[in-house]
Amino acid sequence: MKQGRIQSMLDPGSAAAALIHELGIWLYAGSGLVLVLVVALALYGAFSAPRKVAEKAWIVGGGIVFPAIVLAALLVYAIHVGHALSGPPARAADIEVVGKRWWWEVRYATGGGHAVLANELRIPVGKPLEIALSTDDVIHSFWVPALAGKVDMIPGRTNRIVVEAREPGIYRGQCAEFCGAQHAWMAFYVVALPEEEFRAWLARQAAPAAEPADAFLLRGRDAFLREACAACHTIRGTAAAGTLGPDLTHVGGRLSIGAGVLGSGAAALAAWIADPQHLKPGNLMPETKTLTGEDLRALASYLESLK
Amino acid sequence: MLLTALAALAAVTMCGCADREPLRPAPGDPAAGRVAIQRLQCGACHAIPGVTGARGQVGPPLDAYGRRVYIAGKLPQDPALLARWIADAPSLAPGTAMPKIEMTAAEARDMVAYLYRLR
Amino acid sequence: MKKEHLPNSLPRPPDEFEALKRAWARPKGWRFFTAVNNTTIGMLYVGTALLFFVLAGILALIMRTQLAVPNNDLVGYQTYNQLFTMHGTIMMFLFAVPVIEALGVYLLPGMIAARDLPFPRLGAYAYWAYAIGGLIFFGTLFFNAAPDGGWFMYPPLTGSEYTPSNSADWWLLGIGFIEISAIAGAIELIVGILRTRAPGMSLGKMPIYAWAMLVVGGMIVFGFPPVILATLLMELERAFDWPFFIAAKGGDPVLWQHLFWLFGHPEVYIIFLPAAGMVSMMLPVMCRTPIVGYRWVVGALVGVGVLSFGLWAHHMFTTGMPHLSATLFSAASMAVAIPTGIQIFAWIATLWRGKMQREGPSWFLLAFIGVFTLGGLTGIMLAVVPFNWQVHDTHFVVAHLHYVLIGGMVFPLFAALYYWAPLVSGRKLSEAMARWGCGLMFVGLNVAFFPMHITGMLGMPRRVHTYAEGLGWEDLNMVSTVGAYVFAAGVLVVLADLALHLRLGGKVDANVWGAGTLEWLPLDSYGSRSIPQVRGRDPLWDHPALAREVDSGQHYLPGTATGGRETIVTSPIDARAQYLLVVPGPSWLPLIAGAGTAAFFLLLTVKMVAAAIIGGMVALAAMLKWMWQTDRGVTHPPVDIGGGITLPVYASGPVSHSWWAMVVLMVVDATVFASLVFSYCYLGTNAADTWPPAGVNLPGLAWPAAAALAWLASSALFGLARRRLDSPAVFRAALLAAIALMLAAFGTDLYGQWQAGLRADDHAYGAIVYTVLAWQGFHVAVLFVMAAYTLARSWCGLLDATRRVTFDNTRLFWHYMAGQGIAGIVLVHALPRWLG
Repeated sequence: MKQGRIQSMLDPGSAAAALIHELGIWLYAGSGLVLVLVVALALYGAFSAPRKVAEKAWIVGGGIVFPAIVLAALLVYAIHVGHALSGPPARAADIEVVGKRWWWEVRYATGGGHAVLANELRIPVGKPLEIALSTDDVIHSFWVPALAGKVDMIPGRTNRIVVEAREPGIYRGQCAEFCGAQHAWMAFYVVALPEEEFRAWLARQAAPAAEPADAFLLRGRDAFLREACAACHTIRGTAAAGTLGPDLTHVGGRLSIGAGVLGSGAAALAAWIADPQHLKPGNLMPETKTLTGEDLRALASYLESLK
Repeated sequence: MLLTALAALAAVTMCGCADREPLRPAPGDPAAGRVAIQRLQCGACHAIPGVTGARGQVGPPLDAYGRRVYIAGKLPQDPALLARWIADAPSLAPGTAMPKIEMTAAEARDMVAYLYRLR
Repeated sequence: MKKEHLPNSLPRPPDEFEALKRAWARPKGWRFFTAVNNTTIGMLYVGTALLFFVLAGILALIMRTQLAVPNNDLVGYQTYNQLFTMHGTIMMFLFAVPVIEALGVYLLPGMIAARDLPFPRLGAYAYWAYAIGGLIFFGTLFFNAAPDGGWFMYPPLTGSEYTPSNSADWWLLGIGFIEISAIAGAIELIVGILRTRAPGMSLGKMPIYAWAMLVVGGMIVFGFPPVILATLLMELERAFDWPFFIAAKGGDPVLWQHLFWLFGHPEVYIIFLPAAGMVSMMLPVMCRTPIVGYRWVVGALVGVGVLSFGLWAHHMFTTGMPHLSATLFSAASMAVAIPTGIQIFAWIATLWRGKMQREGPSWFLLAFIGVFTLGGLTGIMLAVVPFNWQVHDTHFVVAHLHYVLIGGMVFPLFAALYYWAPLVSGRKLSEAMARWGCGLMFVGLNVAFFPMHITGMLGMPRRVHTYAEGLGWEDLNMVSTVGAYVFAAGVLVVLADLALHLRLGGKVDANVWGAGTLEWLPLDSYGSRSIPQVRGRDPLWDHPALAREVDSGQHYLPGTATGGRETIVTSPIDARAQYLLVVPGPSWLPLIAGAGTAAFFLLLTVKMVAAAIIGGMVALAAMLKWMWQTDRGVTHPPVDIGGGITLPVYASGPVSHSWWAMVVLMVVDATVFASLVFSYCYLGTNAADTWPPAGVNLPGLAWPAAAALAWLASSALFGLARRRLDSPAVFRAALLAAIALMLAAFGTDLYGQWQAGLRADDHAYGAIVYTVLAWQGFHVAVLFVMAAYTLARSWCGLLDATRRVTFDNTRLFWHYMAGQGIAGIVLVHALPRWLG
């Protein structure tokens, strides 16, 4: 998938990220100046003729007064930004995100009934959403650099983060705390939509899966229910109600398969179903060895049809 | 495991195959074909030389594809036929696991050109 | 100075020098392995540490090659996760800390004009345990069995549920005992620095490097215990399901993070301060002027040492800690910039005042100032809480820590190799290779690590075995990989220079840089011929004739008074000569004990319990045997060392070096216990339900009261024994009764909990309570051995009212342990009643 700098703190997509970016620019510029100053002083001293030095002026002036003033100012600025970002006191969460090895379960708490999806959040532009962060297994860390700093997901705790986006767009996030085998492939997308579109999307997500439109898709659904798929996956509106893997009720509308390993589409779904352990070794989905080629295609097409 | 890694240390070689002469004449732009192969994630099922991350094992590896005599062991090798196979394999072999894939005719042609340069 | 004022006059007796050489002769052939001289052990130690530097560097090159292109499959995640875990672990525990202790072992005695360190066999033991254990630990990589949970080993990922293989145990046990080796080294260095300086070298005249090592020794004493406790807790959880870090059973994974970083952050300064100390030694000499602001620099070293213990939580800003706490840690982290700034400006002022010689060490020192400053500045960025939320755990941090550690430690270390190599071979290394090595390392470091700042800001996390294409990371990663190879080429040039030009020789008299400190006196295996009277900070600059006077034997102790190896013990502050310490010579025992210790921990890892116990017994037997040979008592009448000073050859009580080592060891022990108390309180105050949890009963107050009384009585009996050293029967009876009371105290405490129904694997409460008990039990076992040993000495007639160091040490530890026992009882029995 063509992506671009959609996971960058240097390209902020929210007021919060912009505030940190601005703080960053001061840091880079200030540090650059200090570095040039120190290196220039050292080089000049090293290669110039010896001269008398005033011990107190150098050490007290350069080593104490100068850093103390600069750092005091920086600390005040940092506290100001940190305070602004800590935001209003926590309210009921709009979304719950649960870290799993190695994917993200996303549950909409408000306005969405049973909207549950994986590796993808959609948010309305300009409206801050409160997200509750927890984990099912080890420590993970929720991070969408273009929208906000990271917050860890720690067993036994629920942390909070507020996420909003200024413009419609797609932002990529990734787990930032080492969480074992496939830490590298634990990505997700945040899609910011205009409010109306968001509402419509959320209503669709809350609805059960569509009935298969033709015989081929029906064959796919039969394969899903016949094979072991339903033991781990839920498709609302069918008998499949497994909870170990992602909810697939609207999997066809998602941007990625395997938390960033593959993009969307029936072909990607077929590849993933056929060989998940090669594409993402160590992940918890076993290989499906009993599908005929045609059944595999039908199954992938069925899942792809679940928009 | 570590020894193999050590041995391979010096050589991360990326085969830039697209710039060679094709073994069979084929219309289409191989460089654009490589881009299409990446966009359409062919590498999820096939190992394809010169394409980053393409090392799937669901379908057959496509190395030295320019020398391959049959398409999928069934059909005679021909640029037009291969382009059709790439876009809609089930229409040529109903039992295949390779799905129909949405793409433009130009993309299919370009991919054929890329594959025919793999020797 | 006129000749008649020198402590000893010429000519010296004809056989005096031969006897000195004989006493300090380095063992030859196979007996090389029995060597305990600080110079021999120091060389081995430095060489082994550099070997680990190269090995871990090779691991880094494999990682960089893997990351050169996106979606690479050169190594899979299994290998990659082992690679970064081992790279970090080896660089920190098997390279950085050992190499700073190694240089201390090699350099310090020369610098303070001691003939050797006070506990040469302990130093040799620490080295052998480290070398053998470290190599086996590295070897796990070849069996695909190396730890893969990161050098920080966060649970629950590293717990038995998510890491069922014993790869994590290799880390816990392997690193656990390397920490013990590091502490042994630290005790050796602290006592060496405080008690064996040349007469007249008061603290204010001590070389800055010795100050740095003293501060670092103190930091190891306080910094390593939290991680020793952490590894112990994790191993108990993994082996016996005691749930300290399992949230579902009342544990908390964040406890590990606190304990780990309580160690982990001071660790960074433990690595940096000795390097800073070396810079403060080398730079003035290369600039031909004393350091600007000696007192400021010493104060800064102490300041960094103290501050470094208040910063650990800046590694945890993203755990959801309250903004106020984060801000406090942020301010403390920034405050470190001030003592660091003092040092940097002292160095720059020294560069201004002097004329820098354009030679080997200077290049590395200049590179150090630039690179380290950048690392320090990104460190300040990381201390800024909101900025940290973004860049934490990204490649930005990878860049930062390598600038700090390579800049702050590797460049000074390589400068030190060029600066002090002439101490070994009597001549400088190659100037051309120094320039090439330094140039390649400097360019390579910047090409490799500067782009990583940006890669991180573009969103690339740390510890990923590969990454997706198209996020803007490809080119930066390729550049970093090229830089890594350039850096490696620079390291290779320096190592080749060492291999080509370093020659191990005999006596060296080559003050090639015209330095002012005592390690540049003419030295051989015995140190300097006589031990100088010190009158200033740079004795060789202050008194140019000193080298000749010392080498002709005109200063203190120009030979061996007892026929054995000796060094002068001086008072800790003003360095007045106090007694003559006879130090032990070559022996197989340190090697045997080191191998036994390594075998014990490593065999335990692979669950070969019986073999492990045999290894442990071998180690214990070797240690007891070597201790049996110490505490010689008054074997020789007082000795005239010259200058009208007559020194006894035996001392006990607070004047004895052994007493100091015991006190430092008890501080280590108390710090482990304090970490345990912290863990108990942390779990208790963060408990989701009540503490103790519902359904758990505290034992009745009679149990702890009886145990505490027994501890007190046991301790009192040792007080009695102290006064009756002259009547062996009473003395032995008192000790036997003390042992019985100690066992009774511990048994009562333990049984009290057991009969109340408490079990260790149900809940974190039971786990931590039994850990307190297990920790006391471990001490009871140690005290039992110590008391039995003391009794054995008494029965063999090796203990009396004068020859009493063995008893004094046991007694000190016994009193300490009674205190710790009672503190544990108060913690476990009073705190929950008070909280509840």
